[in-house]
Amino acid sequence: MHMSCPGYRMSRRSMLATGAGASLLGLPVRELLARAGSVGPTRAEHVILFWNGGGMSHVDTWDPKPGRPVQGEFDPIATSVPGIQISEIFPQFAQQMQHVALIRSIAGTQGDHGRATYNMQTSYLSGPNLRHPGIGSVVVHECENQGDLPAYISISGQAPRASYLGQRCEAYYVANPGDKDPYLAFPEGIAEVRGNRRLDVLARYNQKFARQRGKTGFQATQTSIDDAVRLMRSPALQAFELSNVPQQTIDRYGDTTFGRGALLARRLVEKGVRFVQVNRGGFDTHSNNFPAMENHGAVMDSALASLVADLAESGLLKKTLIMMVSEFGRTPRINDNAGRDHWASCFSCMMAGGGVKPGVVVGKSDEDAMQPADRPVNVPDLHATLCQLLGIDHSKEVMTPLQRPMKLVDNGKPVAELLA
Amino acid sequence: MSRYLLAIFSVAALLASLLADPVVAADSVDSVLQAENVALSAGHAPLAVVDDLAFLRRASVDLSGRIPDSTQVDEFLSWPTSQRRVKLIDQLLAGERFADRWTVFFSDLLRLRSNVTGGSALTAYVHQAIQQDMPYNQLVRRLIATNGKANNTPEVGFVLGDNADPYALASVTAQVFMGVRIGCAQCHDHPFDVWTRKDFYGMAAYFGKTRRVESTLTRVVYTTESNQTTVLWPPEGETEDVDRKPMRPRFPFEMIAAGKQLAFIERFQQAVVARQQQRGPAGPSVEDLLAATAEKARQRTRAAGTPELDVATEAKSTLRQIDVKGSLYRHSALRDQLGELVTSPRNRLFAQSFVNRVWKELVGRGFVEPVDDFRTDNQPSHPRTLDYLAEEFVAHGYQFRHLVRMIVSSQAYQRSHVAADADDLVREELESAFWATTPRRMMSESLYDSIVVAGHLFDYKYPDGQNKRVVTETVRVLVEPASPKVAAVTDGPLNEQPLGEQEVETEMRPETVAPAGYALEDAIELDFKALLSKRDDVDIERMRVMSKEELEARRMMMAERAKRPVSGKYETRLVKREYDDNPKFSSAFRMASPAPAGHFLRVFGQTARNELGEQRDPDPTMRQALMMLNGRLAHEASRVGSLEPLHALIAQGKFEQAVELAYLEILTRKVTAEEMADAKELLQAAATPFQAIGDLRWVLLNCNEFRFLP
Repeated sequence: MHMSCPGYRMSRRSMLATGAGASLLGLPVRELLARAGSVGPTRAEHVILFWNGGGMSHVDTWDPKPGRPVQGEFDPIATSVPGIQISEIFPQFAQQMQHVALIRSIAGTQGDHGRATYNMQTSYLSGPNLRHPGIGSVVVHECENQGDLPAYISISGQAPRASYLGQRCEAYYVANPGDKDPYLAFPEGIAEVRGNRRLDVLARYNQKFARQRGKTGFQATQTSIDDAVRLMRSPALQAFELSNVPQQTIDRYGDTTFGRGALLARRLVEKGVRFVQVNRGGFDTHSNNFPAMENHGAVMDSALASLVADLAESGLLKKTLIMMVSEFGRTPRINDNAGRDHWASCFSCMMAGGGVKPGVVVGKSDEDAMQPADRPVNVPDLHATLCQLLGIDHSKEVMTPLQRPMKLVDNGKPVAELLA
Repeated sequence: MSRYLLAIFSVAALLASLLADPVVAADSVDSVLQAENVALSAGHAPLAVVDDLAFLRRASVDLSGRIPDSTQVDEFLSWPTSQRRVKLIDQLLAGERFADRWTVFFSDLLRLRSNVTGGSALTAYVHQAIQQDMPYNQLVRRLIATNGKANNTPEVGFVLGDNADPYALASVTAQVFMGVRIGCAQCHDHPFDVWTRKDFYGMAAYFGKTRRVESTLTRVVYTTESNQTTVLWPPEGETEDVDRKPMRPRFPFEMIAAGKQLAFIERFQQAVVARQQQRGPAGPSVEDLLAATAEKARQRTRAAGTPELDVATEAKSTLRQIDVKGSLYRHSALRDQLGELVTSPRNRLFAQSFVNRVWKELVGRGFVEPVDDFRTDNQPSHPRTLDYLAEEFVAHGYQFRHLVRMIVSSQAYQRSHVAADADDLVREELESAFWATTPRRMMSESLYDSIVVAGHLFDYKYPDGQNKRVVTETVRVLVEPASPKVAAVTDGPLNEQPLGEQEVETEMRPETVAPAGYALEDAIELDFKALLSKRDDVDIERMRVMSKEELEARRMMMAERAKRPVSGKYETRLVKREYDDNPKFSSAFRMASPAPAGHFLRVFGQTARNELGEQRDPDPTMRQALMMLNGRLAHEASRVGSLEPLHALIAQGKFEQAVELAYLEILTRKVTAEEMADAKELLQAAATPFQAIGDLRWVLLNCNEFRFLP
C-alpha cells in the first residue's frame, strides 16, 4: 500500500515534474501516468458526506408514501420546490429543496450491515483478499491538498480505511466536534519557547541518526513531524474550535453532536478540507421506528437546513457537494415491533451543491417503495457521480501492492440527470 | 518402580538428544544460509553482528516486548562476555513476558479480536498456550476442529471469528496456516496460480456442516454440526438450484506421500512419543487429547479404564457436560480430518509458512513475501534455509520456543545494519541475503511499553499528593430531554452491563463511538486468567425450562435496557476538578485488542484485524508525530519523578551521570562526547537541570533511534 504513496505527502504533480521520481521510486509508469489524469471541468472541490449508519428508512425520510399501508406515522410535507414532497420530520430542510436533489431508486444488493456498508463506502463488494479504499480516500488521492488542514476529516466516527491508496489518504479523526484536540498543542506546562527548543534538538538528532543509518525510511519520520508542527502552528486550526462561535449559530444548527458536526464540516470546508465525513448511528430501527425517526429528524433537520443555507449564502455550495447516504433502506412493511427491517432493493439518497442539478428527483420507487419503478441507480453509480462532479476519472486504475490494477470506482456510471 | 524410573531416564535421554544444543542448531541455520548465499552468488561479505548492548536491546524488545531497564542492563553486563547472549536468550524465553509479546503475533496471525463473540477468551487461551508451550500443531488442530460455546470453549472463538462461514474459513485456513491465497478461487479459477474453484469449494466443504447458533434471548453463541452441508456444487447461480449437490470435502494441497519416510518426520514421531511419555506412562496420547471429541473421548476413557489420571478425569468431565446437553455441541468429524491434514508433518506448507512468518517478525523480511503468498511464481528467496528451519521446527514437535531460539541465536538475526553511505542496490542485496539487518520499527505494543519502562511509569514516580493540580473541564449536561419516547432498539448485541446499573444520561452517540482526547493513550488490561475460568455452563439449559411468562418478562426487561434519551437541550458547564498528577500506565500487551481506532496502538500500526492478510503499516504518519510530540505518554515519561534514581543524581548536581543514566535507560547505550556536549547546551537553555533532563528525555523518546531497533 505504500507503493502508491511512496514519498510522504509528496505531491503527485511535483513528482511528475521532477521526472526523476519514476525510476528512483520504482513506480510503475502506468500508475504515474494515471496519477496525472483528470477529466472534465472541475466543479466541486469539497465533499461533506453524512454517513447514517444502520440503514435509514427511506419511506420515513425522502420517499414518503402517503395513503399506503407502508406510510407509517409521518405525513409528507410540501417543499420549496413545487411537486416535491418529503417527510414531515424535515420541516426546515424542506425549505431548502431548491438546492437539493434526491435519488429515490437506488437498487442495492446487500442486506447485511457489514457488506452493505462496505459497498456503499467503497463502491466495491467485499471479498476475501483485498480491501478497497473508501470514497473519501479516493477523493484526497486524486485532489491536491488545499491549506494546512488534513485533506480528509472524519467526525464522530470512523471513516473507511485508505487501504492501497496509502497512509496519506487516511482520514484524520475528530471524536467530538468542537472539543479541543489535545494533540494539536504542546502538553500542558510546556511553554512555546521550550517546546520549540525541543523540536529543534529532535530534528538534529533525527538528522544525525539518518546520517548513521542511511536514508531508508528515516526521513519520512522527520517529514511527518514537520507536517505535524505545521498543523499545530496553523491559524486554520481555529476552525476545529467551536468555543469562539456564537451560541446563536450553534443553536441554529442544533446544539447536538450532529449539529456541531455539520457546523464543523462547514468551517473545515471553508479552510480547504477536501472531504469531511459526518457520522451518525442509530438508524437500525427494527423496533420503535417512528419515535426514533422523529428524534433523528429533530436533530438532523436544523443542521442540514442551516448547512445548505449558509453554504448557499457564502457561495461555497457551488463548490461543495453535500451527500447523505446510508448502507440501505428499511422495509416499507412495518413489523410487529413497530419497526422496519433491512431493505436494500430500493432506497434513497440526498445530494446538494457541488454542481448537482438542484430541485430535482431522479428515479422513483413503486407504490410501496419496494422496488425502483423507474431509472434504477446502482450503488457504484453514486460514486461515479461524485467523481464526475469533482473532475475525477472514476475508471482510472491504480495498482494494489500485488500489482493488481483496480479502478477507482467499481464500474459505476455517473447519473447524468444529476449533472447540471 | 525400577521400570518406571528406567522409562523416565530413557525419556530424558531421548529428550536431551532431541532438544539438541540450540547454539549448534543456530550455527546450522547460518551454515545453510551461507552455503545457499554462495550458491545464489549473492556476493558481498556478511556484516558483523551487533555489539552486546545492541543485542540486549534488540532481543529484549523481540522476546519480552520492551527495552531493558538499567537493572537488566547491569545484570547482563555482569555475565561473562562469552555467555551473555545465550544466557539472555534463555532468560527471555523463560520470562513471563514472552507469552505476552508473542500473543500479539498470534493475535495478528489469527485475527483475534476482543470485540467479537468469544474473542477475548480465545486471546487468553492462545496466551496460555504459548505460556505452557503447547505445540503449534496442536493449537491449530484445536482451532480448526473445535465446536462448543463461545467463551466456555475458548478455541471455538476461531471459527466464530468468521461467523462459521465455510467460504471465509476455507480462505482463512489456507492463507493463515499454509500461506496460500486460495480465496481468489472462490469466484474464479486463480489468475496467478493453480487453484480452481473446485479446490476452493472442496476446502469450504470441510466447514459446510458447521453451524453458528445464537439464542435470541440470551445471546449465547455456540457452534455445532448439522447433518446437511451448505456447500453445494456447482456454485450458486451457475445452474438450477435442484442440480446443485453437496460438495465433497477435498484437501487440495500437496502432501509428502504416506509411504515416504523422511528423517525429520521420524524425529517428529519420536518427539511426540517422548512428550507423551513425559506426561505419564499410561496417559492417553496427546493426539487423543487434542481431538477431544465426545465420541473419541468416550471410547478412549472406557478402554483406558484409568479414571484416577488427570487427563482421563478431564475427558470424563467433558463427557458429562456433553451428556447433559445431548447433541448441543456436536463434534465435527470433517473439521477434525481437516485439522489433521493441515497440521500433518507431511504438509510442508504448514511448517514453512509459519516459520516464514516468525522469521520475518524477527529478522525483518520473510523468505517468501508477502508472507501469505506461497505459490509457484513466488518462490522463497532461500528455499533451503526455509526448509531447514521448517524441518527442524517439525522435528522438535512444533515447539514454538525452539523455533524462536533457533532464529534469535543465529548470526542472521544478530547482524548490523548497512552503513549509511552504501548505495541503495548494495543495501538491498545485503539485506535480502540476510547479510545485514533490515531496519525495523518496534511494533506499537513494544513502543508503548518501552516508553513506559524508560519513563518509569509502570509505577508511581512521585510521592502521593506531590503533584496536586486543579483542572477546569467542560462538561455537557442534559438539561431537558427533547422527547421521552423510546429510542430505537438496534439489533446489535445488548449492553453487557449488569441489569441493575443505571444508564448515564448522555446524548445518543453514533454506534462507532471511540474515545477522545488523552484516553487514546490508555491501556486497560484484560484479565486473561479470569477469561479462562469456567463459567457456569447452564444458561442455555435454563432457558429451556423457563415459562413463557418468564421469557416475556426477560424480553421486556431487555427492551427496557435499550431505552436511551435521544436528544435534548444541553448546556456546557465548566467544572473544576482537583487531581494528583501522578499517572501510572499498564502494559499494552494485556490490553483488549484491537484497540479503539485512533488509539496509540492503532496509530502505530496495530490493525483492526478484520481483513484477512492485513499487515501492520510501518510508515510514519502525521498522527504518530502528533501523538508522540504532544501526547501524554511521552510527556509523562520525560518528566523526572522525584522517586526516580535520576532525580537524586540531578539533585546532587551530578549532571553528567544523569545524562549517562538517561541514555542507558532510554537508548540502552553509552552517551558519546558530542551528545554530552549537546546535553550541556540543553542545560544552559533550560530553567532548571530537571527541566533540562526532561527535555533530553523527551528528545530521546521521540527520536528515530528509540523507535527503530538497533
